[in-house]
Order: sequence, then C-alpha cells, then structure tokens
Amino acid sequence: MSSTVVGSQLTGNDSVPQIFRISYFFSKMKTQAIIAGVLLTVVNGAALVPALQPYASYAGPGSLAIGLWLLVRAAISRGDAQEIDEGQLAEGAVTVPVAPEPEVEAPKIPDASGEVEVVTMLGALQEKGRLVDFLMDDITAYSDAQVGGAARVVHQGCAAVLKEHFEISPVESVKEGSQVTVPADAPSGTYRLSGKVEGGAPFTGKLVHKGWKTTQVKLPRVIVKNKDGLPAIAPAQVEVG
Amino acid sequence: MEKKFTLGIDLGTSNSAITVTDLESSESRVVEVTQLVGDNQVGELSTLPSALYIPNTSEFSSEATRMPWQKEGEGAFVGAFARNHGALVPDRLVTSAKSWLSNPHVDPKSAVLPWGSEIAEGKCSPFECSRLYLTHLKQGFLHAEAREGREWDLDTCQVVITVPASFDEVARKLTADAAEAAGFSDVVLLEEPQAAFYAWTEQAGNEWRKQVSAGDLVLVCDVGGGTADFSLIAVAESEGNLAVERISVGEHILLGGDNMDLGLAYALQAKLEDEGTEIDDWQFLALINAASAAKVSLFSDDSLSEVSIAVPSRGSSLFAGTVSTTLDRETLNAIVVDGFFAITSIDDMPVESGGEALQEFGLPYASDAVVSKHLARFLTRSLENIKGSETLRELVSRGGASLDGGYLKPTAVLFNGGVFKATAVRERVLGLFASWGNGEAVRELEGFQPDLAVSKGASFYGRNRVTGEGIRIRSGTARSYYIGLESSRPAVPGFKPPVKALCVVPQGMEEGSEHVLDKRQFGLVTGKAAVFRFFSSEIRGGDEPGQIVSNAEKNLEETSKVEITLPPMEEFTDGQAIPVYLNSVVTELGNLELWMKHTASEQKWKVEFQVRMD
Repeated sequence: MSSTVVGSQLTGNDSVPQIFRISYFFSKMKTQAIIAGVLLTVVNGAALVPALQPYASYAGPGSLAIGLWLLVRAAISRGDAQEIDEGQLAEGAVTVPVAPEPEVEAPKIPDASGEVEVVTMLGALQEKGRLVDFLMDDITAYSDAQVGGAARVVHQGCAAVLKEHFEISPVESVKEGSQVTVPADAPSGTYRLSGKVEGGAPFTGKLVHKGWKTTQVKLPRVIVKNKDGLPAIAPAQVEVG
Repeated sequence: MEKKFTLGIDLGTSNSAITVTDLESSESRVVEVTQLVGDNQVGELSTLPSALYIPNTSEFSSEATRMPWQKEGEGAFVGAFARNHGALVPDRLVTSAKSWLSNPHVDPKSAVLPWGSEIAEGKCSPFECSRLYLTHLKQGFLHAEAREGREWDLDTCQVVITVPASFDEVARKLTADAAEAAGFSDVVLLEEPQAAFYAWTEQAGNEWRKQVSAGDLVLVCDVGGGTADFSLIAVAESEGNLAVERISVGEHILLGGDNMDLGLAYALQAKLEDEGTEIDDWQFLALINAASAAKVSLFSDDSLSEVSIAVPSRGSSLFAGTVSTTLDRETLNAIVVDGFFAITSIDDMPVESGGEALQEFGLPYASDAVVSKHLARFLTRSLENIKGSETLRELVSRGGASLDGGYLKPTAVLFNGGVFKATAVRERVLGLFASWGNGEAVRELEGFQPDLAVSKGASFYGRNRVTGEGIRIRSGTARSYYIGLESSRPAVPGFKPPVKALCVVPQGMEEGSEHVLDKRQFGLVTGKAAVFRFFSSEIRGGDEPGQIVSNAEKNLEETSKVEITLPPMEEFTDGQAIPVYLNSVVTELGNLELWMKHTASEQKWKVEFQVRMD
C-alpha cells in the first residue's frame, strides 16, 4: 500500500512544521501534474494537429510541450509507484484511492508518484492512438497530407483512450465569446482570469476558452511491477515464423 | 436462500455483459468487469469480449497475465487483451465459441478450439470456453464491485443467462451446465430476443402498455455482431391484463454487424489496390476497425457525405506508413443498406451454400448475406407453424392478424443490436415490411436504447421472477420433440418401412410441467442394446403429446440416434419388451427429461434426451 503516514505523532495542523506543509503541497501538485500532463498532451496532441495550423489553436505547441514536460517530470521523479495489490483485493481488502483526498486535516503525505501508471497510460495512448510514434517522428520531412493522415490515426485512437479513462466535460457550458460570471466559490484551478482583474469576486467577463475538467480518472493498473525500472511504453514487435 | 439481487448475464457470441439489480433498492446498473486490458495491465470495461487467448508458455510472464482470482498455471485469459492480441496470433485465439455449442457436427465437450489451430496443447472445448467466460464474468463482477466497496453473496443471487432463441435444448443445457461448473447456482436461461423485450418494457415504463395492445404481433429483430436472432411475440388480453407469449423463434444465423464491417473493409481494400496501394494483414485488421468507426459516423450524421480513413502501418513511422482513403455514403449504402438489407420479395429465400462438392468444415456461417431473405424465411416458417396449431391460430387471428398470404405479418417491430443504431437501417427494414405488405406499414416500438439491453433485460426478468411482479412472457419449449417408433409390419425385401414418430414434447411446453402419455403402452427393450431415434420440428406448433407423425424422416428433422442399454428389470429377461408409459418433463430450470414408466410398478428409466445428431 502506498499511503505513507508521515508525522503521525503530530496532533493538528497548527503544530505542523513548515517543511511538512511544503512537501504536502508538492505531492498534491504532482498528482495534478500527472493528470494535467496526460490531459494536456492528449488534448493538444489531438486538437492541434488536424488543424495543421499550430498557432491558431488555443493552447498551441507550447502547452503540448508543457504537457509532455509534466509527464516526463512526473515519470522521472523518484518515489515508489502506487502498489495496487489485486491479490489482496480479491480477498476483500480495501482499495487504494487513485487520487489523494485534498482536504486532509492530519498531515498525511500521500505518495502520489504513480509513475508506472503514467507510463502505462502513455502506453495506452501509443497502442491505440500511436501518440509516441507521432511525436517522436521528425515531422518536417512530410507533406501536410501525410501529417493529416497520421493525425487521424492519433485523433481516433487517443480520443477513444481519453473517453475510456476520463470523464471529460467543459468547465463552462456556455458558448465561447459570451459573458460569464465566475462563481465566487469556484474551486481553484477551474477558472483563470486575464485582463483587468480588479475589485472582489464574483468576476464577470467574456469566456475565451470553455476549459476542460474530468470527473473521473480510471488509470490502468499494472499487475507485476518491473523491479529493474519502468515498464516499456510499447513493446518491440516481432513476427515469428 | 432468500434472493437479494439478480445478475443478468448476456453471454454473447462476440461480447458479454453483466447487469446487477439490487432487489432491496431496485437499483440496476451494468457492471464494468475487471479484465486484462493489456500485457500486465488490468482495468474495467462495460463489456467482456468473448475471446479466449491460449498463450505459448514462454510468451508472457505467467504472473503478468494472471487475474487476481486465477490459480498459478492457468495460462489462458479472456477479454479485451485476449481479443486484441489474438487478432495477430489467430492460431491461439478462440472466438465465437458459443456458436460451436449449437453445432451438430462437433462434440461440444471435445477440445477442438481454436478451430483448425495447430497448437500442440491447451486447446479448449466449446463447453470449457463458456465455463471460462462465465467464471471470468463472475469473478470480474465480484472483483470490480469489491473495488467500489460493495460485497455480494452469490448464494442470494438469482442468475439469469441469456441464450439465442435459436439454441436447441442441448445448447441450452450445456450453457446451464457451464454456469454451474463456473460456480453459479439456480441459474435460469432466457432467450435473448425476450430479454430485449423485457428491457424495452422497463425503459418504456407504463408507456409500453400504450404502445402495444391485444392483437399485436411483435417481431423482435436482433442483429448483433456475429448473429441474427428473430422471435415473434404475440400480445393478447387475459382477464383485463395484457398477456405476452413468444410464439415463434428463428434458426441460428451466423450473420451480423461484423460481416458488414468486413464487407466495407473489402470494398476499401479494393479501392486502395486500384490506386496501387497494397495493405498487409495487420493493416487490414486496422482497416476493419476504421471502417466500422466511419460507418458509425456516417450513419449518425446525415450531413456528412464521406469520412476520411487512415490506416497506420505496423512500423513506428506513422507519417511515412499511414495509408489514407475515404468511405463515402454511396459505398456505405450500397454495401450495408442495399447489400445486407436489400428490398427482396417475400418469397425470395436465402440461397443455400454454393454446391461445391468439397466444403471446408467449420462454423456454418450463413452463405447468403442478405438479412432480408432470412427475415422472409423466418416469417414464412412462422406462418406454417401457426397454421398447424389451433391455439396459436386462434391467438393470432383473435387480434385480427391475417393468416392469408405466404407469411406471418408482424404489426410492430422491436429492433435490437448495434446494427440498428443506424436510422437508415431501421428505416430500410420498415420499408421492406411495407413492400411485403403492399404498402401497409409496420410500426417500430419506440423509446428503446439497445445498448447492452440483453443483459439489462435479463436482470429485470430475474427480478420479476423473484418478486412475482411485472410481466412474464409465456414461452416454453421452442420446438416440438419426437421419439422414433419401430412399426410392426411385414418385411418386404428392398423396402425400408417409413419410420413413425411419437410426439413427446409439444411446442410451448412450459417450465415445471410434464406429460404422461398413459393412453398408450409401448414395449421397452431393456438389458440389451437398443436404438433410440429422436426428431424435432420448429414448425409443427399443433402437435399434441401422444400424436403419431407418419414418415418422420420426411416430415421432421432427425436430431439424433443413440444406442443404449437400459438396466433390466428383475422379472423380465434381457431383450423382452417391458410395457411402459412415456413421461416427458420440462424441469423448473427448463431442462428436458424423458422417462419410461413401467405400467404396473414404480420402476422407471430415464432416457437421456438426445436432441442433437452427432
């Protein structure tokens, strides 16, 4: 089981030393970064390419790069991967939550590295949507028609993987360009303000991007951890005979 | 034990699904089943592909493909990864195992699958495959639910497993036995088209009673991935309520949505070849998937005139290796709508196989791909069946349905199966009925979402069965069964006397009922080998138990011939005929039994009901 309770001798938040708070903050960040990284990579990988006009897209290649960076960052950071013991589960043991509970009173520091699962997720995007092939190939040598054909493969496959593992919906359901009021109690990270940000909430303005959120994350689970390192993203394929 | 929940299991030819209904909260949902989704990966999916992969012992680390409930050394695995990986290693992949259960030429308990495979060990029997799928569904359900913090005790469960209406009694019994071997108890079977009907009544709520009325004849038209299954359900009035009865079932037709995707892929491959592009086997598999997705897009959005299709090569260079083409609406309509659902005339029957002297032995895939012709054959045979039975004739004509003409005309149709998600296909079938009925329309039952309807319907049926509330479709045996009699007549050289057959199980005989044919005694030979011949018919709805059918070989289908030696009775010498009455039983679970009761004592013999030719 992955949840390591650190500083359990401490009684309350007030007595938590600063160092604990910071590391808690980081671990929280990391989980979000993994998911955000996967999402950014997929959404941009899929949305940006068919248009064949990178800069016209909302996020542009910058956020694709950020997404990938977040993925890589998450993948190379140290820490034990979440162990989901299916055997114990079969005997009725309790399940491990995929994401840590954000509002924990006690200074639990959840281990949120999940790097094996992230590589596996990337593997799913590669297997069905050829995402890694797409990004690792040098695009400059090919015509737009060839890139377009490849983009369809990526789009169809990655979209299916996305739907299988996340429940994605827009943050704002109104049309982009119309006026919206940002709810005062909106969870942090669900809205980003730009322009003249003055006065207090609630803010009102023009919706530029409707945003995306997911209400459910179903990461693929790995049965046997590779002791020597991370699993392969995609196996080398060999036709025998 | 008191039942607390029901499980509706759609044990499909290509995909299986499971729905749980909690009897206390009445909550019902499709369970996402835990399964292998990749090498060394597990996940939950709402369907379990009915595919079994038998790996080479050195192919995967045995730990990496072992499900948490599997014992060490159980190499074979079921589900999404089995299907996806197995597509590239066909020698080790079992699919359509279910259709082998109803194959008359293969012993369902002999290890013959994957069919035609040359692998040395690990082959499975069709029965064993069903057991493995059911075991996986059971464990995958328990496991997925445990992850969500829900625990179920299977002893308090009413399990309902669906079977094709076309399954004969042997295939049904095998399915029930496989379920028992998989660790389910008190399993009941339900025909798939009936399950779809239950799902529809549940979805329509009280509306369903407004959509159908006494006298309606509902055709359940179910075209799944690999099979087409038809049934007719008559609606009548009984003591102020609507009573429904399944009056006719179709034959086992191996024709479905997969054939359509394959048809599209062949057309696209030909187009690519015309343009000078060759694709390999791996790309052809990808092309089938891409064509299927393009079909769905075109059918669900009328504004599209074509959909681009891209098929990658197997190597890692995506840009250089991807082959592009388009599927246009004309091609789609020509193949799916006009090809599979052509407007044919009512007397245009499916063409039997091509007449080649040598045929490859395997699953009896429909040799005629036109679904319309199979529908015509079903409705024509249904009329023949109704005409033979006074009760059915009365039931159907009471509603005003006409028995004139060459076929039984439905008044409403309930579509089920992925193929009918396409409006164009549903409209075409309705158009076909209108053309057969001189323009008179057959209405479509509305408010139906066919997604996983069979498993949902099975679960609702389980609930109705436990609570005794809600509707029940009267059904009973889909065929009538006969036993051959040796007739006593003088022997003539060169002339074989025609075999007579005695009806022991009439069509529509219900669960938990029996018939004792005590009007007539028969001589039973015990203590020495004797031959029993069994016959059946789908179209003799009027035959009563005890009725003699002359010339059985011509009028009935011979289903099996067995030689058995029954244990002798004390006061009779071996080979002497013992006077018996025949007693046929359909058990509560729907199994057929045939007993021979000594007229003068309690002694009786059970003859294993063989309803299949070996």
